[in-house]
Amino acid sequence: MKTTKLLAVASAVGLAVTLTACGGGSSSSASEESLTVTMWGGAAQKAHVDSYFLPWAESKGVTIKQDSPTDYAKIKAQVEAGQVTWGPTEVEPNFANTACEAGLLEKLPQDILDKAKETGVAEDQIGPCAIPILQYSFTIAYNSDTFPDAHPTTWAEFFDTEKFPGKRGFWKYATGGMFEAALLADGVAPDQLYPLDIDRAFNKLDTIKKDIVFFDTGDQMTQMLASGEAPLVQAWSGRIFQAQQAGEKIANEWNDNLVSYDQIVVPKGYPNTELAFEWMRWFLDNLEAQAADAEASIYGPASDKALEFVPEEIRKELPGYPSNAESSAGLVDYGYWAENYDSVTERLNTWIAQ
Amino acid sequence: MTSAPADSSTGRLRGRPLSLRLSLWARFDGWGALVLPLLVVLVLVFGLPLAVMLSRSLTDPSFGLQNYSDVFANSVYLRVLGNTFLIATIVTAVTLALAYPYAYLMTLVGPVWRMIMMGLVLVPFWTSILVRSFALVLFLRDTGAFNSALQSLGVIDEPIPLIRTLPGVVFGMVQVALPFAVLPIFATMQGIDRRLLQAAESLGDRPAGAFWRVFVPLSVPGVAAAVLLTFVQALGYYITPALLGGPKNTMIGELIVQQVSTVLRFGFAAALATLLLVTTLLLLVVAGRFVDLQKHLMRQS
Repeated sequence: MKTTKLLAVASAVGLAVTLTACGGGSSSSASEESLTVTMWGGAAQKAHVDSYFLPWAESKGVTIKQDSPTDYAKIKAQVEAGQVTWGPTEVEPNFANTACEAGLLEKLPQDILDKAKETGVAEDQIGPCAIPILQYSFTIAYNSDTFPDAHPTTWAEFFDTEKFPGKRGFWKYATGGMFEAALLADGVAPDQLYPLDIDRAFNKLDTIKKDIVFFDTGDQMTQMLASGEAPLVQAWSGRIFQAQQAGEKIANEWNDNLVSYDQIVVPKGYPNTELAFEWMRWFLDNLEAQAADAEASIYGPASDKALEFVPEEIRKELPGYPSNAESSAGLVDYGYWAENYDSVTERLNTWIAQ
Repeated sequence: MTSAPADSSTGRLRGRPLSLRLSLWARFDGWGALVLPLLVVLVLVFGLPLAVMLSRSLTDPSFGLQNYSDVFANSVYLRVLGNTFLIATIVTAVTLALAYPYAYLMTLVGPVWRMIMMGLVLVPFWTSILVRSFALVLFLRDTGAFNSALQSLGVIDEPIPLIRTLPGVVFGMVQVALPFAVLPIFATMQGIDRRLLQAAESLGDRPAGAFWRVFVPLSVPGVAAAVLLTFVQALGYYITPALLGGPKNTMIGELIVQQVSTVLRFGFAAALATLLLVTTLLLLVVAGRFVDLQKHLMRQS
């Protein structure tokens, strides 16, 4: 009985201490000279931070703090609560579009938008609140053990399960490129792709539905491709090349590649917004830093002009490489997706559950 | 045993005149205050968020029942909700079928084996659910350890589809749920007086009969706790079904996360979560009509 009482008192005291600690801990915010960078995490984030945040921070005497992964709900919650701790944040362009319109992001000053154009960033990748930080492609990735001689080179062949039997991996998001691929496979001309004919895309997807497997993360993607579980995947180019370098029997087919990109934004009300803008200017001017990141992360630099500083064996696996750009089926139109993401996601949920 | 009059202590208290309740309060020796921290925590981390969620489902983006009518406008949400309850039921049944004999065996073996068996249940419990689910992916997939072993032994020609199927999800979720069923059942079983079984046998029942008529009914409180813990937990799973399940095994938790983190419709997500909560509570009320939950869960063995 005595021990029970003792335990009870001890736990009550412990709780009280914890509660007090929680109450007092919320006062820390971004200091004058620090920048909190938030990206998707993993090896890619390390490459990005090492290549183009730390060199700038060292020259400026700024401390770089990091968080990961990007979470749109957290951005919204931070802005709504007026407690913004995330500075430069890597996001998908459709989110950048919608969030910018909804007032969740800082509008970029005109000089940054101008500088982006001057330094060779594609105009259709610049938004009022966002500049691109990297480019990649949705490619036809294949297992070269399963397909040693011939592999699909067009989306039409990717959808041809008789000629190339096996499961097909797609990213389980409306913006994962599957609708674009389905329409291209169904004979829609690349320049006629948008606005997407979602009904037609679903009809095409229906033809291979039983062979579709979805993945959520890049690791799942390379794993299912390399293990042969899904010998064909609509993939993120860089991850495939990295796994290939590590010895996996997988490769990118660059024909019909769909170019995509990530953008960097600053959530509205971030205390060190000016510092974040200062970094953006430096980033756009430093093609070498962009090139260093491309080499480390296998993501294409924001500006194609930076490609000349990237070694040839890496460059040929990036979307801006001349032959890759030539065989591309175009750029994913995130303006379309900003408007249609919610409704297409709901239709995708319905289609998947049927 | 004769049936005792149904007067729980609270029932008696409610029946007493006010003065008596006050005198009870006067006898209060201060120890009751120890429950205050728990109450504070419950209100802060459970009650308040729940209230915010409920209000958001009615006010975000605008005041009204819009979010709820959206849920019912597309059949996918109700289908996924139904699917969620179906999977949770299957998982609970399978878990119980495995946990009951396991816990019973634990009461029979010696202390060393009991410790080993306890360890076998608890070690996975201490490992991250993500790690375990990914490990199961490697094990269960078409080219995974299970299928390639059977193929190399010549037992099967084509891989057995285990991943992205209902059995795959159930397999994954049962191994997560097992400790939550084994522990309460074991705790209850350990408190059962074995001499009651001997008494039953000495009165002429066969051992199996004594087990069914004496031991099993006495273990019901543990089973009820296990069922409740497993079922309610299983309703909220989304990592395991997302990794091991196929498109048709989507659970409501996955859609709620999607609405919160990618579509950013907080109000709609709140409506989905409220619907899950209300359905669960309704189900418990219905279950309560058949099983006296309070008796089974509160009774001390």
